[in-house]
Amino acid sequence: MKDILSKTIDVAVQKFHAEYAEVRAQKLFKTMLTLKEERVEAVKQGIENGAAFRVLVNGAWGFASVGTFNAETLTNAVSDACKMANAASSRLKKPIKLVDTKAVQDKVPLKTRKDPSKISIEDKVNTTSTMSKTILDYDSRIRSCTIDYLDLTGTSYFINNEGSCIEQNKLYVWSRLLAIAAEEGVFTYSREEIGSTAGYEIFDVETPEIVGERTAKRAVEQLKAKPPKGGTFPAVLGPSVVGVFVHEAFGHLAEADLTLLGSVLLDKLGKKIASDNVTFYDDGSIEGAFGSFKYDDEGVPTQKTLLVKDGVVVGLMHNRETAQKFNAKPTGNARAEDFRFEPIIRMRNTFIEPKDHSFEELVEDMKFGYYLKIFRGGQANLDGTFQVGVQEAYEIVKGEVGAPVRNASISGNTLETLLKVDAVGKDFELWPGRCGKGQTAFICDGGPHIRVKEVLLGGSA
Amino acid sequence: MVVALKKEEILGLAEKAVNLAQRKGVDEAEAFVYQGLTTDVSIERGQIARSSRIIDRGLGIRVIVDNTIGFSYTNMLESEAVIEEIVLKAFKSAKASKPDKDWHGLPTKKTFSSVKGTYDKRIVELNSEDLVNIASIMLDTAEKTDERIFPIEGNVGASYLCKAITNSNGVEGFDHGTIVECSLETIAREEGEVTPACFEFNIERTYDMNPEWVGKEAARLAASALKSKRTETKSTDVVFTQFAIQQLFHYTLINAVKADYIQRNQSAFKGKIGEKVASEIVTIYDDGLFNGGLRTWKFDGEGVPQQKTPIIDKGVLRNFIYDNYTANKETKESTGNASRAGYLSTPNVEATNFRIMPGNKSPEELVSGLKKGLLVYYLQGAHSSNPASGEFSVVATPAWKIENGEIAYATKGAMLAGNIFQVLTNISELANNERKIGQLITPWILVENVKVVGK
Repeated sequence: MKDILSKTIDVAVQKFHAEYAEVRAQKLFKTMLTLKEERVEAVKQGIENGAAFRVLVNGAWGFASVGTFNAETLTNAVSDACKMANAASSRLKKPIKLVDTKAVQDKVPLKTRKDPSKISIEDKVNTTSTMSKTILDYDSRIRSCTIDYLDLTGTSYFINNEGSCIEQNKLYVWSRLLAIAAEEGVFTYSREEIGSTAGYEIFDVETPEIVGERTAKRAVEQLKAKPPKGGTFPAVLGPSVVGVFVHEAFGHLAEADLTLLGSVLLDKLGKKIASDNVTFYDDGSIEGAFGSFKYDDEGVPTQKTLLVKDGVVVGLMHNRETAQKFNAKPTGNARAEDFRFEPIIRMRNTFIEPKDHSFEELVEDMKFGYYLKIFRGGQANLDGTFQVGVQEAYEIVKGEVGAPVRNASISGNTLETLLKVDAVGKDFELWPGRCGKGQTAFICDGGPHIRVKEVLLGGSA
Repeated sequence: MVVALKKEEILGLAEKAVNLAQRKGVDEAEAFVYQGLTTDVSIERGQIARSSRIIDRGLGIRVIVDNTIGFSYTNMLESEAVIEEIVLKAFKSAKASKPDKDWHGLPTKKTFSSVKGTYDKRIVELNSEDLVNIASIMLDTAEKTDERIFPIEGNVGASYLCKAITNSNGVEGFDHGTIVECSLETIAREEGEVTPACFEFNIERTYDMNPEWVGKEAARLAASALKSKRTETKSTDVVFTQFAIQQLFHYTLINAVKADYIQRNQSAFKGKIGEKVASEIVTIYDDGLFNGGLRTWKFDGEGVPQQKTPIIDKGVLRNFIYDNYTANKETKESTGNASRAGYLSTPNVEATNFRIMPGNKSPEELVSGLKKGLLVYYLQGAHSSNPASGEFSVVATPAWKIENGEIAYATKGAMLAGNIFQVLTNISELANNERKIGQLITPWILVENVKVVGK
C-alpha cells in the first residue's frame, strides 16, 4: 500500500515538477442506523476506500480524489491533480507557499476499550431502540422521535514528498436524538447529540435511558414555556450556549483562512477584544473528545492552541499555508472529512477556560434577564454578526431562575459581546457536535456558565 | 485522465447486485448506482489559486427479508468480491433488524417521464482552462465594479452526474445530467467598516452562464452594504429575495408538506388538505419535471417517475409529497419524491423543484410600492428555526431599508422573528423574477407585518 502511494508522489515531483505533493488514502467502515419512533428504518453498512492527491505546481493547488487503490487509476489521478494545478496557476498573482514542518513517521493505533466495529448490529439496534422507547414512554404528549446512530472506523495513510509517512487508525461513535412534543397547537422540539473518539463505551456513561430521558423531558417542559420578549437584556449562558458562541461567533473568525478573508480579527492580533476574564483554547489533544486526533490531514501533530489570553488575541488556528502567511507555527488544524475533500482549517475542541463564579453568584444580582441553557444552532458572518438559536431558556427574575421560554435566539456583534462578558463560572462542560464548512468535521465546544451584561434577544411574532 | 463509467457498465453493476441478492434468498432487492465527476476552480482571497477534479461513484443495495430492511454500500466497484461482500452485509443487516409492519414492497415498473434541459454536452467538455477563464471574467468584473470590495471566495464548477436503478420488480432506469455553476462572495471595506459577506451565483443544467453579471452583482451588493445603520424594533413590510426565502422555507415549509412529517405528527399541515393555509395569490408546485430544474430527473431515488404535484393552489393546501413507503401507508401512489444522497443512503422524502409561482410585478415595482419597509437578501440562523412549529428568529446580514419606494441605506444586525405559516398568509405580492436556488424556484416575495427586532 505505502509503496504504491509513494510511487504516485514520485510521479508528481519527477514528471510534473510539483513543489509539494501529498496523498491521503483511507479505508473506512461505517455502520448507520435511523429509527423513526420504534421503527428501524434501515440498518446500513458501508465500505469505502479512496485516495486524495494534493499538489503545488507553479504555486497553485491541484487536487484529485478517486475511490480506488488501483495503481493505474492512482497514477492518472495524481497526473490530473498536477494538470489542474498547472491550469489554475495561469492567473496566479501570489504563489502559495507552505511553512516548513518536521517530517513525521508514525503509526497510531486505537486505544479503545469497545471498538464499535466489534460490537454486533443487534447490540446497536438495541441501544438505539432503548433511546427511542425511553423518549416515547416518557409522556403521552411526545409525538415522535428520530434516533440516528453512526460509527466510523478505519485507517488513514498520509504520505508526502518531504518524508512524512503516517498511518492512523480512526474511530468515531456518534448518535443524535430528536423528540417532538405537541399540545394544543404548540409544537416543541428537543435535540441531544453524543459523540466520542474513545469507543462504544460512551454508552456506558451516556446510557440510552439517560440521554433518552434528557431529550424527552426538555421537549415536554418546553410546552408550557412562553415566547421571550424581544430586545436587549442581561443573560447567563449555559456551557452548551457558551460553546456554540465560542465556536460560531469567535472560533470561525480565528480560523486563519477566514481571518485572511477579512474577518474582524484581521487587525486584532495582540489586541484586547474581550474582558479580562475571557481565555479561549482550541485543543485537539483531549483524550476521547469528539474533536481530538493525533495528526491533522497535513501530517502536523495536534496541540492545545491558546487563542485569547485574558481578553487579548494571542493566536489563530493555522494550516501550513496560513502559518506561512502569518509567519506563525502550524497548529494542526487542517482537517478533511474524508478522501473526497481537501483539508481546510477546522476547529477541534474549542472552549472558554473556567474562572471563579458559582452559578448562584452569576444569577443573584440580576433583576430581569434570561438564562440561555441549551443551544439549537448557530451561525456567524465575517463581520462578526452572530446568531445562536436556543432550545431551552428561562427568565431570570430578581436573582432567581424563573419561567421557561421557548424559541429564543440571541444575536449581536462578537467583539462588542465579548467585552460585555462580566463574569465567568467555575464549572466546565464539553459538548460534541458537527460543524459544516463545505464539509463536515466532528468537534466539541463548551466552557463554564458565563454572564453577559447585555445581548440582543429575538422575540416571537 | 480518470474517466467515467459508461451507461452499460453502470446498469450492469446494478443488475449484478440485485441478482446476487436474489440468489441469497432475499424477498426483494434494489440497487442504486451513482456517479459524479466534478471539475472545479476556486477563487480565494482575490485570486484563482486551486483547481480540483473529484470522481465519486458507488453502489448501494437495499434488501428486504421478512419485512426487515438492510442496506449496504461501497465505492469499490472494480472488485467483484466487494460487491458480494456488501450484498452479504445488506442481508445480515436486515437479519439483525426488526420487521416493519408497514412495509408493502418496492415500487413496480412504470413508464419514466421525459425531461428537458437537463444534459448539455458542452458542460461535459469543459476543462480546467475553460473554468479558469470564466473565473477570471467574474473576478475582473467584480474588481472593476467597485474598488472598495474584496472578492473573498468563489468558484466555477462543472459536473456530470449519472444514476441507475434496478429492482427485483423489474424497475430499471438510467439517467444522466449536467450542472454548471459560478459563484462569488465579496466583502466591502471602508474607513474601518467591514460589511457582511455578500454573494451572487449562476447555476444551470445547460451551458448558460453570465459570469460578468455574477461578478458585478456580488460587488454591487457588498458596496451598497457599507455605511450601515442600526434599525429600530417594529413590525414592517419585508421584501424577501430568493436567498432569504430559501433559508426560511428549507427548514420549515418544505418539511411541513412531506408525508413522512405528516404521518409522524410533526407537521402543522396535518389534516389541513383543502383548507386555506396561505394568501390567495400563493400557488406552489413540487415540479420534478421543470425544464432545466436543478432537481429534474426522469425518475426518483426508487425508480418512480418524477411528476408535477400541486401543493398549494391559490392559498389552498392540495397535496403532500410521498415516496413509495409513505404512499403505501395511506394506499396512495408515490409522487416521485424519494431522494438519495448518492449511493450512500436509503431514500428519504424530499422536495424536487419546489416552485412558488411568480406574479406580474417587477422586483423594482415591489420596492417602489413601499413607503417604508426592509429588503432582506441574506439570513443567518434559519437552521435554528423550530421545524415543527415553523417559528423562526433570524438575523438579516445585511438588509436594506426602504423609504418612500427607494432603497435608502443598509442595516446591520436586524433580527426577524415570526412563524413561517403566518408569513404564508401575509404574502401580499409576488414579483416576476423567479430563479432557481437549491430546491426552490421562487421570485421575490413581499410579506406584510414582519416583526423586526433592532436597537
